Amino acid sequence: MKRFLILCAALAALLVGALPASTPAWAALQVDVNQGNVQPLPIAIPDFIPGGPNDAQSGVNIAGVVRADLERSGLFRPLDQHGFTEHVTNINAVPGFPNWRAINAQGLVTGQVTQQPDGRLRVDFRLWDVYGESQMLGLQFFTTPENWRRIAHMVSDAIYERITGEKGYFDTRIVFISENGPAIKRVKRLAIMDEDGANPIFLTRGDYMVLTPRFNPTAQMIAYMSYIGAKPRIYLFDIETGKQEMLGNFPNMTFSPRFSPDGNQVALTLETAGNSDIYLMDLRTRAIRRLTTDPAIDTAPSFSPDGRQIAFESDRGSSKQIYVMNVDGSGQRRISFGAGENGTPVWSPRGDLLAFTKQQGSHFTIGVMHPDGSGERMITNGYHDEGPTWAPNGRVLMFTREAPGGRGAQIWSVDVTGRNERRVLTPGDASDPAWSPLIQ
Amino acid sequence: MSSSQSPTRNKVAAQAALRRQRPTTARGPRFGVVGSVLFHGLIFAAALFTFHRNFETPEDSHVVPVDLVTIANQTNVTAQAPPTPPTPEKMDIPPSPPTPPPEPEMQDVEPAPIPPVPKFDVAKEKPPPEDTKPVPPKKQQQDDFNALLNKLTTPDKPVKTAKAGPRVIQGVGAGNMMTADIADALRGQIYRCWSPPTGAPDARDLIVDYDLSLNPDGTVSRLQMTPGTAAAATGSAYTRAAAEAASRAIYECQPYRLPQDRYSLWREINPLRFDPRQMMEP
Repeated sequence: MKRFLILCAALAALLVGALPASTPAWAALQVDVNQGNVQPLPIAIPDFIPGGPNDAQSGVNIAGVVRADLERSGLFRPLDQHGFTEHVTNINAVPGFPNWRAINAQGLVTGQVTQQPDGRLRVDFRLWDVYGESQMLGLQFFTTPENWRRIAHMVSDAIYERITGEKGYFDTRIVFISENGPAIKRVKRLAIMDEDGANPIFLTRGDYMVLTPRFNPTAQMIAYMSYIGAKPRIYLFDIETGKQEMLGNFPNMTFSPRFSPDGNQVALTLETAGNSDIYLMDLRTRAIRRLTTDPAIDTAPSFSPDGRQIAFESDRGSSKQIYVMNVDGSGQRRISFGAGENGTPVWSPRGDLLAFTKQQGSHFTIGVMHPDGSGERMITNGYHDEGPTWAPNGRVLMFTREAPGGRGAQIWSVDVTGRNERRVLTPGDASDPAWSPLIQ
Repeated sequence: MSSSQSPTRNKVAAQAALRRQRPTTARGPRFGVVGSVLFHGLIFAAALFTFHRNFETPEDSHVVPVDLVTIANQTNVTAQAPPTPPTPEKMDIPPSPPTPPPEPEMQDVEPAPIPPVPKFDVAKEKPPPEDTKPVPPKKQQQDDFNALLNKLTTPDKPVKTAKAGPRVIQGVGAGNMMTADIADALRGQIYRCWSPPTGAPDARDLIVDYDLSLNPDGTVSRLQMTPGTAAAATGSAYTRAAAEAASRAIYECQPYRLPQDRYSLWREINPLRFDPRQMMEP
């Protein structure tokens, strides 16, 4: 009997002991989310608070430019101010986040503009995470009042970078070819404007044709091709001084210039005896070195951001295709094998992609591919899109778009994902855009 | 004679005494059956609890309540019709507004040098990170801005969510098979709020893991990046942007509609992984 009871007790103990083990160990649920819904971020940007009686208009202007910048990027959706339930009156007070959540704002920008006693403008702003209920960024700028647009672009750049993790590109400029007049007598002038199309200025008179302008890395120098004296040659234009000079005095035509990432060299195409090849010119010594020797047309060089490689187009394989070589001309290899002809490769400032123009019949579109030729995809769907140029963050491109029938060229921009295609407003027709680096 | 009892009698008496000590034939079987039943019952119960999973066949446990079917339908719709088309989505070019925006007027300055880019005094000051000492400001302007930051008046932070629910242990024996539909349901609800920053050159920078605790009403009780993961350790701006986008999605889409009777299964989600690589493939 006693032994039986001991046995029962042991079994009971085993049972009790087994209970926790028999309950499944607390296994938390695991969930993988790998599909999302890419949408612009709803962001509230009320007019900046005037710090003094004369600052109200500045506050409206700056907030307006910031809203326009962010909206244009396609990654933000600035909310209509009329729907705001909270009136921001103090930049130093933490906002009432539930009020902003109520209108579905995920980000909030509060700012203030104050004219200083010395005449300068002081701009403060804060970026708030409405759901996280925390400040993400707080910056302050000083400038002369006439530079308010640049301050606004810098605010936009800061917000863009903080939210997306990528550098902004709003405080940049675009150099382009402005076209006016009838088709048989087009006047093409070199022009420059802010990234948003503001402050357009002509840089050349229009007496001679200009083509393919390119910025140097400091955005202070432009290389371009011009037909001065009926011979196409490459010229350098100093934006600060307005001086221009011919780049080398070659007996034949030179074209398609592109600065190296350090700004010390220019790759260009030089035509000799009917054969176009790519050369490298050292801007300090003006020494020139030949990189390609193929009897086919080699042109449109573009440096990789590390300066070690050059992409270019060549028709050596019977059709125009994209090739890559080392900066000394060695290791030339074809990378584009897609349909049609592919040309004008432009290396992304980030280095991960090459943008190019694909021609299929009379149809021209812009595409991107990896530097090894993989992952080719087209990102525009116009009838005649060509000549891509990258934003300094490698995220957005501009290009020239012509409608069928030659009804004038326009500049358009598109996100590298192929989304957010939109026209860049220019005075009159415009082509050949080149995007500057971020202004220093 | 009393002292000299016969051996036979002694033997009979001893046997009688022995009989008295043993159970009677009437009591013996009754106790044995009860004991046996109890004994075997205990063994069976011990075995049942100890080897519980072995006994539970999928058919036995796969009770499909009505709400489960509903959820399955919802999630199937999502899974079968992903919102992102395989080809890059084009935004429609907006039609020209009735009054087209005026084209900017060009200043007709003939070969005019552009004025030198003006210098800016830019004072950058971020709010001090929680775990690091703020860098002492170097400029007067930064002093000013620190003062500005310090002037922040913090109202009482509203309580965003309700208290965490009690740790009820139920749903004993539920395996992954029982949670697949819940994972699907949660995924199907979060995805519509998740707009990851897809611009990074390396998509692996954008993978983030969160530990999420939910209240019984489906609201967020606690959220933190899973400690020890690469995303939590890296300071990359891309990763931070990805983590914040995921966090916004989690908060924006709450409360989550999940089967109440199986709260114990979705009370803790760890990890809740956000991986946008499929979305970034060309």
